[in-house]
Amino acid sequence: MQEQKKIRVAVIGFGKLGILHTAVVNMIPQAELAAIADINKQLSTYVQQSGLRAPFFSDTDQMLAEVKPDAAVICTPAFATLSVAEPCLARDMDLFLEKPLADTFDAAKKLTRLVSGRKIVHGTGYLFAHMSLYKKAKSLLAEGLLGRLYRVRSSMYTSEVFGKKKGWYYDAEKSGGGVVINIASHLLYLLYWYFGPAKSVFAQTRRIHSDVEDGATALLEFPDGLQTVMDVSWSVPGYRLPYTEIHIEGENGTMELTNDYIKLYLYKAHRGYPREWTTIHRIDLPSSSRFEIGAEGLYEEDQDFITCCLERKNPAGTWNDGFEVQRMIEAIYRSAAQKKAISIGEIQ
Amino acid sequence: MTVKLDRLILGANPFEGVSYISRSQSVHYLEYFAKEDNVAAVLEAAYNAGVRAVTCSNTANVMAAFQKFPRTKDLAIYPVIPNAYEYAMEASEKGVLGAVLSKAKGFSMYQKVKLGLRAIAKIKSVLTKDVMDLLLELLNFEMTSFEKLNLGGVILHGQITDLALSSHNPDILSIFQDVIRESYDLEPILATHNFGLLLPQLIEWKIKIPLMAPLNSKGFMMKPSKEECEKLVQEAGYQIIAKKVLAGGRLAPEEAFSYLLDKKVDSVVVGVGSVSEAYHTFAVAKNILKI
Repeated sequence: MQEQKKIRVAVIGFGKLGILHTAVVNMIPQAELAAIADINKQLSTYVQQSGLRAPFFSDTDQMLAEVKPDAAVICTPAFATLSVAEPCLARDMDLFLEKPLADTFDAAKKLTRLVSGRKIVHGTGYLFAHMSLYKKAKSLLAEGLLGRLYRVRSSMYTSEVFGKKKGWYYDAEKSGGGVVINIASHLLYLLYWYFGPAKSVFAQTRRIHSDVEDGATALLEFPDGLQTVMDVSWSVPGYRLPYTEIHIEGENGTMELTNDYIKLYLYKAHRGYPREWTTIHRIDLPSSSRFEIGAEGLYEEDQDFITCCLERKNPAGTWNDGFEVQRMIEAIYRSAAQKKAISIGEIQ
Repeated sequence: MTVKLDRLILGANPFEGVSYISRSQSVHYLEYFAKEDNVAAVLEAAYNAGVRAVTCSNTANVMAAFQKFPRTKDLAIYPVIPNAYEYAMEASEKGVLGAVLSKAKGFSMYQKVKLGLRAIAKIKSVLTKDVMDLLLELLNFEMTSFEKLNLGGVILHGQITDLALSSHNPDILSIFQDVIRESYDLEPILATHNFGLLLPQLIEWKIKIPLMAPLNSKGFMMKPSKEECEKLVQEAGYQIIAKKVLAGGRLAPEEAFSYLLDKKVDSVVVGVGSVSEAYHTFAVAKNILKI
């Protein structure tokens, strides 16, 4: 029997997410971990002693030349994604890029242009697209359960920054910003996925502890005049993990979506759901993941990318989607800086 | 070899603010169990209901509650090490190895003396020499939190077990097994969220130690599938500590423990969020499981 083709994957960037993606790639039957690369040479010892059989390189170009992987999962800090992706794309490799696409809008634009019109599989790490509860909410909205949508309130909070912190993550020159680009980009992805590309943004950001924004409040307009409020912060006590809430009001009722459940209130029975309250718990939804580490959805995300590499199709969450999120991020930062509403059309 | 395990173990997820149901429940747990007296009250209720074992990380509220609860000496504690949540939080700022080194630098003089100068030398040279040595010292460091307690076994955190599983290499698990047995004369236990993938691998590696894994009628967190996990529980001959038996709070104790009745399970770990919940949950468990 002919052995099934495996995608030979290099993981570039071996921080927290690089370690998790390495673990997941190593558990996907259709993938082979071909190499690990990180500029920190000292990580070589860890890689060798952790039992990983893939070779370690501190020079990405050398790794590409010697290993010739089919694809890469790029988990570098945001300021490095463009420079790491370019040589990979020069070799026509398929690429999965952890979110956000880049530290700046211009870098994200360059990345998106680099894959435009080419037969390259490109995925980006907006994990919510692979979580069962968010997928369920997407299908409910797509089938029109709530009818015409009027208004959305959303938030994302976590307890992470209560004083000045060090590291690239908290340095705008390297990460591109603070809580909006690093954490709330996940929420912005959800809003884009559910409601389409935003039309305009008015936002204020606030620095409290950091040199980057610790909080932001934005009013976004989506197609059909859908008003959306977004409030985000990484400096709120009581959130041991990032917590997302979206409250949607429509002509048929409301939907409350959180990390844990979907709560529906319908004015009359509709599409198999009863009048008034229905709660769908995350725990009750079937999981399609065969392996789990770090977070729900990570295995599905990488599996989706590998499957798409084999079948030459687009994964859920392409660089084009990541670019639309980056456009919203840029609009938020420009609006806050200029103290006025920004039309998304201005961000080109 | 069959290891003696306590049939009922009190879990600590609520003490750490973990809820799979809602944010409001998580906040309630965080606020309520921030007071060690409330943790101690649940320990007492569980004790009165016949529970003689607790599994936990070295979180400050739980360690303080152990000091307060007068019957702690009668409890078998099953530490879960390392405290992976703490490392993960630090890793955003310092990177993964940075978080580990930061922990190592935080050793008190007492701990450094206790670990010995050998350890300090290794910590300083870790990145150029031997990572395994540092991991061993960290393991020893984490164990110091529990040194005055009566220990029933030591559980390797599921994230570490599952990382080791994904590397397809038995070394980390073998070292954990050896250190816990040889240095502490205790039984090593592996927690996992990937039971159905881990167990066949352990059989291949000839590592036979108890496993703590999700087992519930909803199939919640049973990887790769509920059916594969159930088959292995019945047929593999490994000692199993069932966790997530209430499926993150979606199952009533009556339904949850009835499901376990015909499963080859040695022990059950359950977290409870209040004194009344402790009395009810453990009474139902003892009644249905005939403990």
